[in-house]
Amino acid sequence: MMQTAARWTLLAIFLAMLGASAIAPWPYDRQFREETAAAPSARHPLGTDALGRDRLSRLLYGGRISILLAPAAALVSVSIAILMACGAALLGGWWERVASALIDLFLSLPWLFLLLAVRGLLPLNTSPGVSLGVTFALLGLLGWAGPARVMMAAAKRQLESDYILMARASGCGTWRLAAAHLAPNLAPVTLAQFWTTAPAFLLSEANLALLGLGIAEPLPSWGSLLRELSNVTLVPQQPWLAAPLVLLVITLGCCQLARAADEYSL
Amino acid sequence: MTEIPARGAAGGSQPVRSNTRSGKLAAAAARRLSALLLTVVASVVLGAALVRLAPGFGMDERQMDLRLNEESLAAMRAQGQSTGILTACRDYLSGLARGDWGVSVALGRPVRELMADRAGLTVRNLAGGLVLAWALSLAVGFALAVARRRAWDTSVTLLTGGLLCIPTGIVALVFLYFAAPSAWALAAVLFPRIFRYVRNILQDSARRPHVLAARARGCGRLALVWRHVSVPSLPELFALVGVSLSMAVGAIIPVEALCDSPGVGQLVWQSAMGRDLPVLMHATVLVAVVTCAANLFSDTARALVTREV
Repeated sequence: MMQTAARWTLLAIFLAMLGASAIAPWPYDRQFREETAAAPSARHPLGTDALGRDRLSRLLYGGRISILLAPAAALVSVSIAILMACGAALLGGWWERVASALIDLFLSLPWLFLLLAVRGLLPLNTSPGVSLGVTFALLGLLGWAGPARVMMAAAKRQLESDYILMARASGCGTWRLAAAHLAPNLAPVTLAQFWTTAPAFLLSEANLALLGLGIAEPLPSWGSLLRELSNVTLVPQQPWLAAPLVLLVITLGCCQLARAADEYSL
Repeated sequence: MTEIPARGAAGGSQPVRSNTRSGKLAAAAARRLSALLLTVVASVVLGAALVRLAPGFGMDERQMDLRLNEESLAAMRAQGQSTGILTACRDYLSGLARGDWGVSVALGRPVRELMADRAGLTVRNLAGGLVLAWALSLAVGFALAVARRRAWDTSVTLLTGGLLCIPTGIVALVFLYFAAPSAWALAAVLFPRIFRYVRNILQDSARRPHVLAARARGCGRLALVWRHVSVPSLPELFALVGVSLSMAVGAIIPVEALCDSPGVGQLVWQSAMGRDLPVLMHATVLVAVVTCAANLFSDTARALVTREV
């Protein structure tokens, strides 16, 4: 019941963000110079920011960026992880050792730290579009180690199964074994890892943005909108400032419920 | 055929067993130490590669100084691009061996001095946050295991689930608002993560057949959870110590940066903002060493507890 409700809520949020250009009252970068830092009104339901931009429009457009690109980055991570897991499990020997060592190396370095270090090295004149692409590409390229470890263990378990033995006995080659037998049977684990990674990337983008290393202005993202909360003292007087946080928490909470989050494993 | 000595019999059996055990311990320790060294070297190579391949490599904020002429700018660019990945690694490792950590580009001070100045505060923050988070996680996990109330379990799960949805930076800002110490903010970030693992470990342990048998024999709730659930879970909990330190190191950057706590985390953030390569490179290696050492410690402790060495 709760899972269904969570999935419907997620779908509603996803559709609202996708239809941002139709729903949003104003373009995300339009500046109303006469209405800077305005309180909510009929014209601007969530008020305007310090530059006079409509907050609701930025929330919707920002949501579209976050909600599309975080899963895209998760897809990159999970794809790298499944390639690595299948390759290492099938080829075994040194390949497996090298893959395990790489995974250990990436897991031993907190990846938010790596992300921060590499993101900080972008040129000062990086355009908003490039910063957007680079931020999420880095998330995808640096966040594969956790899913890879889980998938490698799952792939090794699958390789001990009877159906794999039978496929091998009937002369199935390594790559066909990987593509036709192993990968489809790893689908549930892959999906679970995708559902774990995508919300983690949403949070990471938010943290990067809070530290001033997120997507460059004027492009909005949920993370960059959270920067308005840097002055926490304003929130009790202007609770509408917390709207991006509330939406982020609802989205991530629904993701947790949708994937029955109590299955955390070491 | 090898004769198996009787249990408790006097003679040479005990020293032989102890020698074998200490030999195995030494071999395992050597294996893990070499893995640690390899990881450190690999992290140096990875750090150098990331730095060299990053789009901003070779760019220097000083290049925006209008007073510099074309010659100076060209010299700065050449200086930035002169070394390859392997040369950079070699220079870095030889410098490290000599105790020379280079000089911070942004702050103009030796990196070693900068790190030493700030390490104390970060260690205190990390230790405080980890101790608080672990104490809270174990206390709540233990209490839930003893009480076995579904409503309580659901409430705590929802609460920790909600906390997991809040970005670390926001948690840090909330604690800053209440003028609470950074260690408390770190504990608030770590608690839901550690608690989830602890609860799962205790729940898995509580489902084992020996627990059912003990319950059937009329063992009291407290004794059951302590003796039959918690103690057998110690190896998994030890394994979690290393993981939790890695989480804490990741979280310390936003916490120290936003709580204005002048530790290594804040230094790393400032270096990322100022693209200070020497500091970033050393911080990467330092973090790799700390997390690998913590994993080594927790693996060894787990092996000692389970006698698997």
